[in-house]
Amino acid sequence: MTPGHILLYLALSVSLATIILLGRDYVKDAEKYSKYIPTLVGLTAGLLTTALIYLTYQFVTTDYSNAYVWNNTTDYLPLLYRITGVYAGNEGSVLLWATLASIVAFWAARMRGVSGQNRKLVQGITMGIVSFFSVMLVIQSPFNTITQEFPQAVPGFVPATGRGLNPLLVDPYMAIHPPVMFVSYALLTVPFAIGSAHFISLHRGQQGLFKKWYGSVLRWLRISWLFLTAAVALGALWSYTVLGWGGIWAWDPVETAIFIPWLFLTATLHAVTNYRPGRNYTVLAPAMTSTVFALAIYTTSIVRSGVFRSVHSFANEGIGLSLLILMAITAFLGVLLPLIYWFGQDGEGVTQDSKWITRSNLLHLAVLGLGTLAFISIWGLTFPLLRDLTTGIEVEVNAKYYNLWSYPIVLLILLLLGFYMDFDVEGHERSRIALGIFTALTIGAAFIKPSSAWQLASVSSTDTAFYRIVGNASVLSVVPPATYVCIAIIKRAFERIPNISRRGQLKEFGITLIHLGVAILVVSLAFTYLFTAQSSVIIQDARNDEAIHHVPESSYSVQAANYSETTKPRNPDPRRIALSSQQVLSKGSSLNGTIKAVHGTITAIKRGPRATVAQLDNSGVWIGLTGENQSSTSLSRGREIVARGAVMWNYVPQADAVVVTDARNVGPVSNPPPAINLTRVEKQSMDLRIYRDGNQIAAGNVGQSRYIKQGGMQVRDVLINRGLTQDTYVIAALNDGTASLTIKRIPLMTPIRIGVLFLLVGMILVLLFDPIHGLTAESHRSRTTVSKNEPTTSD
Amino acid sequence: MSPRKILTIVFLAALLGIGYQSMNAAPVLSDQSYSYHGETKWHTNFSSARAVAVNQDKPILVYFWTTWCTYCEDYNQNVYSDPAVRAHLDDFVLVAVNLDNNSPEASRLKQQYGATYPPQHVAITQQGQQLAKINGYAKKKAFIDYLERAQRRANQ
Repeated sequence: MTPGHILLYLALSVSLATIILLGRDYVKDAEKYSKYIPTLVGLTAGLLTTALIYLTYQFVTTDYSNAYVWNNTTDYLPLLYRITGVYAGNEGSVLLWATLASIVAFWAARMRGVSGQNRKLVQGITMGIVSFFSVMLVIQSPFNTITQEFPQAVPGFVPATGRGLNPLLVDPYMAIHPPVMFVSYALLTVPFAIGSAHFISLHRGQQGLFKKWYGSVLRWLRISWLFLTAAVALGALWSYTVLGWGGIWAWDPVETAIFIPWLFLTATLHAVTNYRPGRNYTVLAPAMTSTVFALAIYTTSIVRSGVFRSVHSFANEGIGLSLLILMAITAFLGVLLPLIYWFGQDGEGVTQDSKWITRSNLLHLAVLGLGTLAFISIWGLTFPLLRDLTTGIEVEVNAKYYNLWSYPIVLLILLLLGFYMDFDVEGHERSRIALGIFTALTIGAAFIKPSSAWQLASVSSTDTAFYRIVGNASVLSVVPPATYVCIAIIKRAFERIPNISRRGQLKEFGITLIHLGVAILVVSLAFTYLFTAQSSVIIQDARNDEAIHHVPESSYSVQAANYSETTKPRNPDPRRIALSSQQVLSKGSSLNGTIKAVHGTITAIKRGPRATVAQLDNSGVWIGLTGENQSSTSLSRGREIVARGAVMWNYVPQADAVVVTDARNVGPVSNPPPAINLTRVEKQSMDLRIYRDGNQIAAGNVGQSRYIKQGGMQVRDVLINRGLTQDTYVIAALNDGTASLTIKRIPLMTPIRIGVLFLLVGMILVLLFDPIHGLTAESHRSRTTVSKNEPTTSD
Repeated sequence: MSPRKILTIVFLAALLGIGYQSMNAAPVLSDQSYSYHGETKWHTNFSSARAVAVNQDKPILVYFWTTWCTYCEDYNQNVYSDPAVRAHLDDFVLVAVNLDNNSPEASRLKQQYGATYPPQHVAITQQGQQLAKINGYAKKKAFIDYLERAQRRANQ
């Protein structure tokens, strides 16, 4: 058992003990062990954090005695990507998730929060999740030794080099994206616990706790939303720099899997802000709160259990079953419990007025609209499995499915948003007229198609009526509703912001930024996909040709220089992987008959008629050269050599071991024979200058890296010139001096970046400055989570 | 009934509608014996495809693909949709191998023809001898050129 195993077992024991103490106090409605709980939760967090740091240390020092380290990294990788290896596989991701969840649990326990029986329930559920992850880690540990991986290997066997990291993960964005995503998932643990505890409490005939914990829920959800948005954005930027993934978004199953919790969390936040104790959303808001985490687990299960294969399948060696069990538990607590409660109710028990257009009904529509978008994505992941299971027919879910079903819903949501914001300021009559006008404009714009590029999707007569109608519509239809949103939001901001408190102003500004960001993103995304254009050119002899080449059918020309072919690691030291004579002797007869690389300094040479033998380091280890080239000049006394061959123990009486080989497999350490094969990556690259209309617009390096020991996988280095109206994106395929260049013009990337920035800044402002529930608000600082006032209606 | 309840019922009905419609509108990728790509139909069982090839005296075209490969989608959209390409494909017996399929037969084909990433096409004789290989994505014209070359070699 390694220190890592011990840390994990301790973490599991402490977290289980915490649950037992919490459970005992909860059942007896006592506070006997309450004062120990924060310490125990902290201890669990400390143990898991230490385990994570220890694993990271093993990665940094490339300690291949750990099988997981051996599997996910190698020496030539820079420090950053050795750290990235920690969460490149399932075990490491679970450890990261567990650690973050335990830190969140500790943070929650440290804050005084609401006392009483329900606090123990919330803490119990939170620690339950941490314990479950710990069980997963104990069953499938990231600390398993290489001997456990290879039971037949000799004792003390440590590989000389690692298998390496998936080449697609060798990217700066990938170093940050997973931790940010796991932070958001970890933060969702507490709202899940509160939501589930609320329904458990209701089922037990108690009051529930949502009303008291409302502010707390809102803050947890908002922080998680911020991180999840950042994670989606980072993932999109990553896919933008990796060739062949269709730009920033390709509806790959894993992309869809992170988008589902995001959409549902967005819907949940709208429902939670619409929550009025005893009046409004008393069931739906807490139910959605607990469902978000269950959905995050569901989507993770689908993509990590190996049911789905995707470009993201970095780790699919089957943590399937554990995740499926966790999925069942979270689905029961987060979805089924609320549903059972809801069915048992006579309704929300509230008399609702019969007016159609009220703020709260409009918000309800927003929740339903966002819920529909989430459903479209969930269904897209789910129905191919269902259909395959029930009929044996495999169906394809492509971008067309997601885009065409989502598009009308997005337009409806935009119109609704514009109307809601307008209604807030203008009142009933005028806002209805505006809605009518913008709806008519939207429908009208759907018919304006200057060319086929404006059409949303290419459809054929065999497609369903829905696909034909939406696919034939013009992308121009997104402009009127987005304009409507922008006008209404800015008008509302001018109307409301001047007359409220400073904190209120910042929060309102945040809300304005978020919604403006959404409008900008929707328009830019729709256009960028339809109007990306590309042209290509081939430079036959890029090694010697530095002329400027015009790119046909475009305004671009290109010039290549410094064509180079390099390998990684550079000047590798064969002594790292070859055994020394001392190591050969210490391993003894266990090496008999195995093929090994051995190095050492020649101290004696004996040449015979059929073989030449050379002694290494005055030891009992000899290199035996057979065959015709035995008189190879590579053997001379005092020379440090490396050789690869069969280790024969007690082969001749005069030596302990003879490494039987031939001249091709022997060479000096400074120039090892090819059989030692230390090259991991073959990189071909060249410098490129891009001109548009004769003016240089970009210069940089393009090319590709081929990862020899990872199935020959290729990763491209693209050149991106970021422009105000369009990005110029160059992909190069270099092959034996020939450069095939593809130049893409991708419009509207700047507005997309601005849209994302608006979203993130807006979210931070709302999170910090909400006058009642913000992180800097008085009510929060005074450490009471009881809502002093009813939630504001302005969200 | 309150407006909100009516809206919720409409929402649930819409979800059911979307669910049903979209599941039935999804393009079929494969059934028991064929895999569908764009407007083309490919065998999924190599042995039965070879029997058909022997019977019809045609060479075989093996297509290595995956569901997540964007270039495969480009083949569907731009190459297989072209009547000229389909006319050339008619001269071959078509077999599609999903690279994510780890059955013994698929693994053997992957190894035999060195197919490590999608998309790759390999034209072979009925005896399995390689006639032409298309690594990655080829545009319509290049694709047809490859097929013609394979066809010429098959007739030699």
